[in-house]
Amino acid sequence: MSDAATQRPNGLALFILPSVLLFALFFFLPIGLMALMSVLTGNPVVAPKVAFTTRHYGRIIDDPYYLEVIWTTIRIGLVTTLVALAIGYPLAHWMARIRSRTGHALLLMAVLAPMLTGIVVRTFAWMTLLSDKGVINQTLISLGIISQPLKLMYTETGIVVGLVHIYVPFMVLTLTGVIGRIDERLEQAAENLGASPLRAFIEVTLPLSLPGILAGSLLVFALAISAYVTPILLGGFQIMTLPILIYQQISANFNVGFAAALGIVLLLISLMLVIAYNHALGLVSGQRELQ
Amino acid sequence: MRAIASRPHYGRYLYLAVNISILTFLLAPIAVVVVFALNPTPFIQFPPVGVSLRWFEKFFASRDFMHALGFSLEIALLTTVSATLLGASAALALARGNLPGTRLIVATMLSPLMLPAILTGLALFQTYVLLDVGRPTWGLVAGHTLVTLPYVVRTTLAVLHNFDLRLEEAARNLGASPLRTFFEVTLPLIKPGVLAGAIFAFIVSFDQFPVSLFLVSPGNETLPVTLFNYLKFDLDGTIGAASVVSIVLAFVVVIGLDRTVGLRSYVKL
Repeated sequence: MSDAATQRPNGLALFILPSVLLFALFFFLPIGLMALMSVLTGNPVVAPKVAFTTRHYGRIIDDPYYLEVIWTTIRIGLVTTLVALAIGYPLAHWMARIRSRTGHALLLMAVLAPMLTGIVVRTFAWMTLLSDKGVINQTLISLGIISQPLKLMYTETGIVVGLVHIYVPFMVLTLTGVIGRIDERLEQAAENLGASPLRAFIEVTLPLSLPGILAGSLLVFALAISAYVTPILLGGFQIMTLPILIYQQISANFNVGFAAALGIVLLLISLMLVIAYNHALGLVSGQRELQ
Repeated sequence: MRAIASRPHYGRYLYLAVNISILTFLLAPIAVVVVFALNPTPFIQFPPVGVSLRWFEKFFASRDFMHALGFSLEIALLTTVSATLLGASAALALARGNLPGTRLIVATMLSPLMLPAILTGLALFQTYVLLDVGRPTWGLVAGHTLVTLPYVVRTTLAVLHNFDLRLEEAARNLGASPLRTFFEVTLPLIKPGVLAGAIFAFIVSFDQFPVSLFLVSPGNETLPVTLFNYLKFDLDGTIGAASVVSIVLAFVVVIGLDRTVGLRSYVKL
């Protein structure tokens, strides 16, 4: 890659080497080893007789329980992404269009403050809000609206609420950048031509912000399906997702091979998504070139 | 703007109402944590019955929490230094080094963002097990560096792409050596991007959970892992106090960010 004779990279190109080394040793090698472990019967370092096997993958495919876990993970990821988009878009739009500098700084603070507060802390916050004796139930009971606490925690809804809160800032920041780059005069032109603000938004701003929608959604989905803390605490070990299952296989059973196979499944889901995203992005940008 | 203002206002009101509800959703949990940290009862109680600092005392008196806090700061600092050095130099090579396949390299460097972080943790854990190296601190820092590097690369690349190449040419034409041009023109100009990336790296590392989960050793855990383990069994105000401490830290960071690089440049990634 740094063969100076064939290309014409200059001296600065050498600065890439430390990062390349880091990625080779701590990213590609480990993921390669994980893929290898997922098709081996045991640990080649300690076990003398190790053979190739597909039994780890066979176990995932044959047992409906594991397929259910995979589907739960994807479902929670999808719902989280959709909700994060629905509530992230208006806020991002406001942030991108607000004129006052102070207003912008305050909004940014409001988005960054939760983002900087930490996953465990925010999950704890939702536990205090959603539990049977939590803020929401206590308030509703004292107001006489309900007599029995609502089951908000230990449900998928609870997990989604927590995940949306944790990952919506990523959506907002991604979208703000994209919406901010859309020329406002395009909207004004549409309105001057007689479109209502809503129609101008739907026909001009929304399509132009599609790359941001895709990028933000992919990021939130990738983060949501790999979440561990929130599903375990808000789900109370009752709702199983892939990351929880993977950690359980290591910590409780020390079943490294099976954990590796589950990891590869999670990896494939993410990769399929990245490919779909690139494809969609290609379509979006191609469309724009036509216009 | 004017065109919108001349129309009926209810659309505008709806827009504001929706946005204010969203902001409430974002900020209310944080406010609740603060209330809970100050409430003296050892269980969730709402409305609060009083104000007390006992949970803060318990948090700061706890050797486990203090050790975890110190360890987290240590890891975050080491990670920030390595991610900033590696990320900034990689960005420089990508933007100015005439490397072939730049797009592919950038995509690869950003990929730890898109790949579930728990996989990075699992894969590193398995590697360390296979190599029989135990769970060393450098192993944890390497994992953190991997997941924070993309932030530095991204912010630095953004600044490098935006700045005027003619500034460097001008310096060169005025007789500055390439080295002097780099230190007196290039470096000061990319500083905001590098700094923003460094702060991002620090925050992400300090709050990193999935990678740490697999790589910390018992008795040497980072603060998020310690908080998580505590939270599985106890739900008292100590977590609230720990949360408030980290919220205050976060605000200090945001204000520091605003003072140094400006919040606007921070989000223009």
